[in-house]
Amino acid sequence: MSESVVFVVDDDQAMRNSLKWLIESVGMRVETYASADEFIKNYYPGRSGCLLLDVRMPGMSGLELQEYLANQQIRIPVIIITGHGDVPMAVRAMKAGAVDFIEKPFNDEFLLDSLRNALALDEHQRSLQAERAEIAARLAQLTPREHEVMVMVTDGKSNKEVAAALGVSAKTVEAHRARVMEKMEASSLAELVRMVMAANI
Amino acid sequence: MPGRLTPFRPLWLRRIPLPVLSILIGVLCGLVVWFFLDQFQSRALNRIFQEELQTRLDQRARESLVRFEQYIASYTSTTKLLANHRRLAEYLEPKAWDEEGSVTPKVYLRSEPDWLPQVPQWAGLIPPSFLILFDSEGRGREVYLREPRPLPQDILSSGPLYVSESRVQPYITTLDNKPYLLISRPMEDSFGSPMGDLMLAVAIDDRFLAASQAGVSFRGAVVALLDADEQRVLASSDSKRLPPASPLTEWERDYVVTAQSFFEHEGSDLNMLFATFMPRWGMAATSSSVTRLVRRQRIIDTLVYISVFTLAFYLLSSRINMLLRRISRFSQRALGIRQPFPEGGNQLIVLEEWMRQFVHLVRRAGDEMRHRHEAEIQESEAVKRAIFATSLDSIITLDEKGRVIDCNDQAERLFGYGQEQAAGRELAALVFDGQSGHTFRKILESSGDGAQPQEESAHRELTALRADGTQLPVEVSVMRIQLESGVVFTVYLHDISRRKKDEQEIQSLAKFASESPSPVLRVNERGVILYANDAAEPLLDYWGCSRGQTLPLYWLKQVKRVLDKGWDAELELVSDGQIYSLLLAPIGELSYVNIYGRDITAVRRAEQASRQHQAELVHVCRLSTMGEMATGIAHELNQPLSAIVNYANGCTRRLQQGIGGEAELVEAMEHITTQAERAGEIIRRLRSLVGKQPPDRSVVDINDLVREVVSFVEFDTQRLGLEIEFDLEPGGLPVRVDLVQIEQVLLNLVRNAMDALRDVPEDKRHLFIRTRPEGAERVRVEVRDTGSGIDATTMEHLFDAFYTTKSTGMGMGLPISKTILDDHNGKIWAESQPGKGTTFYIVLPNAMELAHTFTMAGRIQ
Repeated sequence: MSESVVFVVDDDQAMRNSLKWLIESVGMRVETYASADEFIKNYYPGRSGCLLLDVRMPGMSGLELQEYLANQQIRIPVIIITGHGDVPMAVRAMKAGAVDFIEKPFNDEFLLDSLRNALALDEHQRSLQAERAEIAARLAQLTPREHEVMVMVTDGKSNKEVAAALGVSAKTVEAHRARVMEKMEASSLAELVRMVMAANI
Repeated sequence: MPGRLTPFRPLWLRRIPLPVLSILIGVLCGLVVWFFLDQFQSRALNRIFQEELQTRLDQRARESLVRFEQYIASYTSTTKLLANHRRLAEYLEPKAWDEEGSVTPKVYLRSEPDWLPQVPQWAGLIPPSFLILFDSEGRGREVYLREPRPLPQDILSSGPLYVSESRVQPYITTLDNKPYLLISRPMEDSFGSPMGDLMLAVAIDDRFLAASQAGVSFRGAVVALLDADEQRVLASSDSKRLPPASPLTEWERDYVVTAQSFFEHEGSDLNMLFATFMPRWGMAATSSSVTRLVRRQRIIDTLVYISVFTLAFYLLSSRINMLLRRISRFSQRALGIRQPFPEGGNQLIVLEEWMRQFVHLVRRAGDEMRHRHEAEIQESEAVKRAIFATSLDSIITLDEKGRVIDCNDQAERLFGYGQEQAAGRELAALVFDGQSGHTFRKILESSGDGAQPQEESAHRELTALRADGTQLPVEVSVMRIQLESGVVFTVYLHDISRRKKDEQEIQSLAKFASESPSPVLRVNERGVILYANDAAEPLLDYWGCSRGQTLPLYWLKQVKRVLDKGWDAELELVSDGQIYSLLLAPIGELSYVNIYGRDITAVRRAEQASRQHQAELVHVCRLSTMGEMATGIAHELNQPLSAIVNYANGCTRRLQQGIGGEAELVEAMEHITTQAERAGEIIRRLRSLVGKQPPDRSVVDINDLVREVVSFVEFDTQRLGLEIEFDLEPGGLPVRVDLVQIEQVLLNLVRNAMDALRDVPEDKRHLFIRTRPEGAERVRVEVRDTGSGIDATTMEHLFDAFYTTKSTGMGMGLPISKTILDDHNGKIWAESQPGKGTTFYIVLPNAMELAHTFTMAGRIQ
């Protein structure tokens, strides 16, 4: 959590500074950028956190930045700030995947709650990402035959059925299965199934 | 006129008329033919004749011989008859010639012996020279001599030899150098004992030969017996011409001799020939008579030939003469030329001269025509080139594939392509596209088959494209021209954009009168309605007259007045709630007046509607401008306000948690101050923006303003079933105001009132507007409605901005009105009795000091 940063992108300096002032009052780290371009230059995908984005900006608008990030497969949670009456724009932002939108002037509780949720979401996404990468690494160790066995087992087939389907003895299947469990570091069949689902094979 | 021709050279030939010439040629040819034919034909004829004659002679000779033989045969049978006769047998029966040695025969001279029967048969035959009875020993016993001539010596001495010879067959021999025919037959007595032989001897002399031929003679032909060894005549049928013993050679010159041997009768001592002598002179006569005949025949043939030939030529020449006369007449009358040569003479040559003359004339005429034609072509070429260059139409020449070969300047100007750009490109693709291009190709094709007349494909209207892409309508006319080198098309493109427009205008003009929804009439100087269209019916009804009748007196006067003055006049007429404007236009020359009516009821209404619309637009415009401005202000203010809130919240949180240094907090507070000042600055800017507009003042009658505003809402009032009641100060109340602003205020009040009246029953809806002077310097306007009134709370906030009781309202109407009146140094307020109604008051300073110069003209339309 301590690594997470709230990235504020707003063209109005007073807005940037006041937001930084407000958000830092609850102990979150804040970085401010005057434009979308400046943010893109300084951000790299590994950084955890969330993005607090003003919709109306000269140059690249908030929506455009959101679109850009989506195209770059950067899944940082985005909270949109809108002025009074920019409802259509807010709707567009939500459709494009923003987690929340906040109208100016802000209710500070609402804003801070929203930020906390966004950071939690980011954390969750990152851990999922890490786990998926781990599972993928383990899957890569499997031989093709082991992979086959694993898919059939997680499909709910018994050892006998697998043996019949692959034309090998049940004993061999047993051996493959044991190796799969070992390589995948799964303590039970249920965990293996979860891993396979998480890896989205 | 006709140039000299070289006449036909041999003049003498030319002068001879054709029939004469034909006779001459005919005679000449006849003679030539005669000369040659006669030679050959006569000779050939002679030869044929000779051959024929020879054959005939041979034939005749054979016939003579046969006759001779038959003659002899008849002697043989006679001898047989005599030998077997009963008288001889009876005579012989008592006789017995048995003496030995020589005996002297008994001779009968002149008297006939008993053994000789009267033989009538001699009649056909020459009587024999003598008859001898020989006994069995061959000794002559009895001799009968018919003539007193001595018996040849040999006959008795060599009796047995002759008997034996002549017993077999008739035997011819010479006795005493004279030829004799000897025939012997054995004889018997009554008992049938052989008694010897009877010998008959006949001298073969001219009588015998003539008799043998039984008088048959052929042109002096003579038969003869010849001694072949000595080549001389033994006996002939004509001893005068051909005496016996004469040599044969003597006669060969004058006779044709046909000799035949007859072996049966030859004696052992004699080589005889039987000959026929045909005299040569007879043959020559026959031949020459035949030749004469043929020659006569030939002369007749030749004459017939010449006459037919001449007749044919005469007929031919007479036809040619007729033809020549016609040619001559035709030439003199139609062509005006005289005969080039003297008349008469050989018609064929004259005809040939005519022909040559005609050929010459035709050639000359051809040359002249060609010269003239070339000159004409040059002229017309020049004219065409001028037309081509100066034509107002675009003229384009295409090859058979529809590609541009040439175009004139107008085409370049019209389509914006240069000659070089366009050349070789397909016109259909160049200046047409899509459907037009397709149609154009069709036109080319259809003009290509040539079967249909040009008119059908001509004058098609198409849409063309200029080089810059703009469209223009063109009329296309295509002409197909068949040249020796191939087919070309001449395409005329006429820019008809202007004509199209003209056409449309003319069409619309033509429809004007009859189809005009407005009344159109024509009256003459006596006010009789000559024409009135359907739309004029209401006017006719109003006037109470129909077509062909006279107008009412007032309108008749107007018509006359217009005609007198010669100017148009416009009059209005109100009939049955409709307002018409009538334009009376005089046509001086015809003494007619055209009346153009116009139902201006709708126009009048539309004018009102449009005025109202305009006013509403102004109102809406104002409101929307205000709305936008409000949005802008809201956004502008939102920024500093949001920042202030953030800073303040941040401060609060820090203070609550006891974090944050004093300096930090102070800085945040300073930020708050800055942002608040920023908000204040925005508002100041806004105010200065509003305050910049300079006041626009003019002097008007407040009553007019009221009327105008009411006209804006006329439709709404009608819809509400409301009639606005006025109580306006008579004589007007001049004020010096910003027209639009005050109208805005009044409109606002009227609208509010109408909104208030919407909720009450229709019969209780009333709206009064009253204008009155207030004191000496002010003017008061009251707008009173019988609506539900305004409650006390609302009354308090009546002039507060953004305070509204309406769902669609902004809450800006009355505050703005108040601002406007403040600007005008006036006042606005309201009095309301809930349930009974509301009255709004406006008070404005008047403009009485200007009343004496006050005029409404220019202002009220």
